[in-house]
Amino acid sequence: MSGRIAGLDDATRGPRELIEFTFAGEKVTAWAGDSIAMALWAGGTTAVRSSSKNGSPRGVLCNMGICYECLVVVDGRTVRSCTTPVRAGMVVEPGGRP
Amino acid sequence: MSVDDTILDADVGIVGAGPGGMAAANVLAQAGLSVVVLDEGMRAGGQIYRQLPEGLVNHGKIAEPPSHDGGHALLERFAAAKVTLVSHATVWDAAPGKLWFEHGERSRLLRCRHIVLAPGGYDRCVPFPGWTLPGVVTAGALQVMVRGFGVVPGRRALVAGSGPLLLPTVTALLGAGVEVVAALEASSRWRALRAAPAVLGNALKRREAMWYARQLWKAGVKLRWGWTVFACEGDGRVQRAIIGKVDADGRPRRGTELKLDVDVVGAGFGLVPSVELALRLGCTSRFDAARGGHCVVVDEQQRTSVPGVFAAGEICGIGGAEVAAAEGQLVAEAVIALAKGSTVSAEAQRRAQKERKAADTMLRAFAPLPGLAELARPDTIVCRCEDVTRLGAQQAAQLHGDSLRAIKVGCRAGMGPCQARICGPSLQAMATGDGRRAMDLPVVQVPVKPVRTETMLDAPT
Amino acid sequence: MTETADIVVIGGGIVGCAVTWHLAQLLGPSARIVVCDRGPIAGATSASCMGHLMVTPDNAQEYAFTKKSLALWAELHEKVGGFDYNPTGALYLADTDEDLALIPVLRQQFADHGDRADVLDRHQLAQLEPGLADDIPGALFYPGDGVVLPMLAAGAMLRAARLCNASVAVRPMCAVTGVVRDGSRVVAVDTERGRISTNRVVNSCGVWAPDLAELFGAELCGAARLPIHPRAGNLAITGHHVSPIRTQLLEISYLRFAHGAAKIDPTGNGGDPGGHAVNMQPQTNGGCLIGSTRQFRGFDKTLNRELLHRSLLRARRYAPGIAAAPIVRTWVGLRPYSTDGHPLIGPWPTIDGLWIAAGHEGLGISLAPITGRLLAQQIVGETLDVDVTPYLPGRFVA
Repeated sequence: MSGRIAGLDDATRGPRELIEFTFAGEKVTAWAGDSIAMALWAGGTTAVRSSSKNGSPRGVLCNMGICYECLVVVDGRTVRSCTTPVRAGMVVEPGGRP
Repeated sequence: MSVDDTILDADVGIVGAGPGGMAAANVLAQAGLSVVVLDEGMRAGGQIYRQLPEGLVNHGKIAEPPSHDGGHALLERFAAAKVTLVSHATVWDAAPGKLWFEHGERSRLLRCRHIVLAPGGYDRCVPFPGWTLPGVVTAGALQVMVRGFGVVPGRRALVAGSGPLLLPTVTALLGAGVEVVAALEASSRWRALRAAPAVLGNALKRREAMWYARQLWKAGVKLRWGWTVFACEGDGRVQRAIIGKVDADGRPRRGTELKLDVDVVGAGFGLVPSVELALRLGCTSRFDAARGGHCVVVDEQQRTSVPGVFAAGEICGIGGAEVAAAEGQLVAEAVIALAKGSTVSAEAQRRAQKERKAADTMLRAFAPLPGLAELARPDTIVCRCEDVTRLGAQQAAQLHGDSLRAIKVGCRAGMGPCQARICGPSLQAMATGDGRRAMDLPVVQVPVKPVRTETMLDAPT
Repeated sequence: MTETADIVVIGGGIVGCAVTWHLAQLLGPSARIVVCDRGPIAGATSASCMGHLMVTPDNAQEYAFTKKSLALWAELHEKVGGFDYNPTGALYLADTDEDLALIPVLRQQFADHGDRADVLDRHQLAQLEPGLADDIPGALFYPGDGVVLPMLAAGAMLRAARLCNASVAVRPMCAVTGVVRDGSRVVAVDTERGRISTNRVVNSCGVWAPDLAELFGAELCGAARLPIHPRAGNLAITGHHVSPIRTQLLEISYLRFAHGAAKIDPTGNGGDPGGHAVNMQPQTNGGCLIGSTRQFRGFDKTLNRELLHRSLLRARRYAPGIAAAPIVRTWVGLRPYSTDGHPLIGPWPTIDGLWIAAGHEGLGISLAPITGRLLAQQIVGETLDVDVTPYLPGRFVA
């Protein structure tokens, strides 16, 4: 099971801000500072797109903006979910075949 | 000049805020030169010293090896230095004195008298059956998850691959409370012994090795030498891994397989230097298998073959954070020497040479094993962007020719958005069955990384 | 022992592969056919061009020529496939009064051959292609065009050849270094991998065809140099699943600009400022290929950012969604432009056994199959499918 490492909060700043966005129509709760990919992963979603030719599920591979395996569509734009920070109210759709 | 200006001007433009870029920036700023650092990450640190998002503190939860003390020192100096850092910046084209970058919605340009390239490297991937399943990621990806985002990658993890970066991956997982079911190093124990002089001759590396040994021992994780991941299986995501022994060349020994239940797999077979921008700028490179592939050639002052373009760290050959930091210091002195007519210190040169030599000794022990190319079956996807199988790549090599370009042309492998960063290092070996062959020098085209059409249209000149 | 061959095809681009395919069909399974290229198969112009299958209705000859070639493309798709054949048709778009005037002209040209292209009003255009800007003044849809991936198509042609004749030898990375003649007769070619005895050779080297012709002895060529010159095009391709369009788009000014006789010195020394008319080709993976610019500047393959910029601006004008699409790669390809605007398909009259198939400029992909067929028919002495007189290379021999 994926999730969050407990006890990383900065005591001087209080708990982190929680934000909500949607992925494939489902509500996802994220922490401010998350990338889209990591917010999804922490919530148990590892597949974020389907492949171009055979439609197989794909997700994060490199997690550092190199591989373009984690492409998603945000407000009509194809972006790397691993390098794109979450924003409250963001509408994220899986990349790949519509 | 404001940080938000579309066009930035600086004495020095640095690409990459890892140890090399930070070390260079710190020294350059101290000397009074204006410095802009462009980095694709969310915060400074690069991959090796990746920081948690603002507002999170490690509190010692995720144990860090002794070498990270140096990283913290660099980060602290960098935070205090008079340096402009532009995070989330994707540099997509370069010319001497110019770096074009996409920054969020904007198309921007950094004009600078000197360019320092310190873009680091990325994981070397070796395709194996099931490596496209969600949950199978690179070793680096797991470190980013834990140390960069405080995310627990899974419950039961397999770590497999080769080289010094497997250990920090294991300890990061342990720090996140993940059960590391197996840790597999493809090199044999005997081959790895060649790294011993580098470790024994360096106090920090000795402490580091002992620290890792203790961490693994405490967690009851045994590093298995001469083993690797053969395949991953699962329905929609990874659920099982097949592991097995490999021979001295890395060829899988069929019949030695074991099956493990896992929910996350990190595979990393060393690193590949990120030379794309340098090639775009016309810098001379050379192939060095042990250093990770094509490396930018620099002189004793980190000068590339292109005037005004310098390089430090992994781009000159994989070497690790200490090499990058030492070369960062040296590159800064070389730039200052050029700008102010000063001379480069013998100490900086000596330190960079010493670190590089030790790293080379270490890396030779973990040079890519040619036989690992045999992990891929004919129907294993080699190019993930274009869904090209190994058989497809082989057929392309047979019909169109066995050069990298011919293989790409014959099956579209390497033509997708990663621009062959992932499949490139293994593509020729996969297609020709000759794992010892040096990879052809790739042709780098604009954009060096994909950017939106409007970014190209709006590019300042 | 010297290798012998019934015919050696030199130049393994789309045209050489098409020639090989039809030679294998017509010469039968026992013929010894060798195709050589100094680089990869389909690694030069065929790997850096667009994939337009285009019917050009300018006159009866061209219409028959292109129409027949497109039928052969459909046949290759059916028999072999694997090259992303996509019969999207073509949308010709007009944005200026000058361009608007071309729409009825083009429609009438198709009608003259008993074919049909439809003028679309804004509503019809939006229905066919919702990704287009809503203020495009004029559009004509021709359903007969298509798109292919040329480099994969070249491979398909070689596979088609091997279906007819399993012994077809394909030799990438095998440059031809010399030609052996007995008087005016070809008797052998020397390659990097040895001599091949043959008395029939095809020069299908595209923009490099003049270089190969020189190996045959310039004094016999009649002209100083084969009149083919590189005409550069700058292209860009997006990532997958981002194409704003499903139908191939062409600015109708393309017709004027692509097929008009160049008034400019084609040798690349004349300071050609270059021109552009946008062509957007949806890919089967949801990507979009964007061209096309034209400029004579020799063999220079550095990107002309200004020309590419102008062509991307036109792409955005017609399909605004392209603005957000990531560009994965840009590059330059060299079209083999012949000085009279027509390809060379046939025997070189002064050298026995030397055949040429080259010089198609921007129509090489469209015309490759019919070129291969007509050359093979000439070589074996079969009745020709289409009159080839205007394309005989002898027109350049004084």
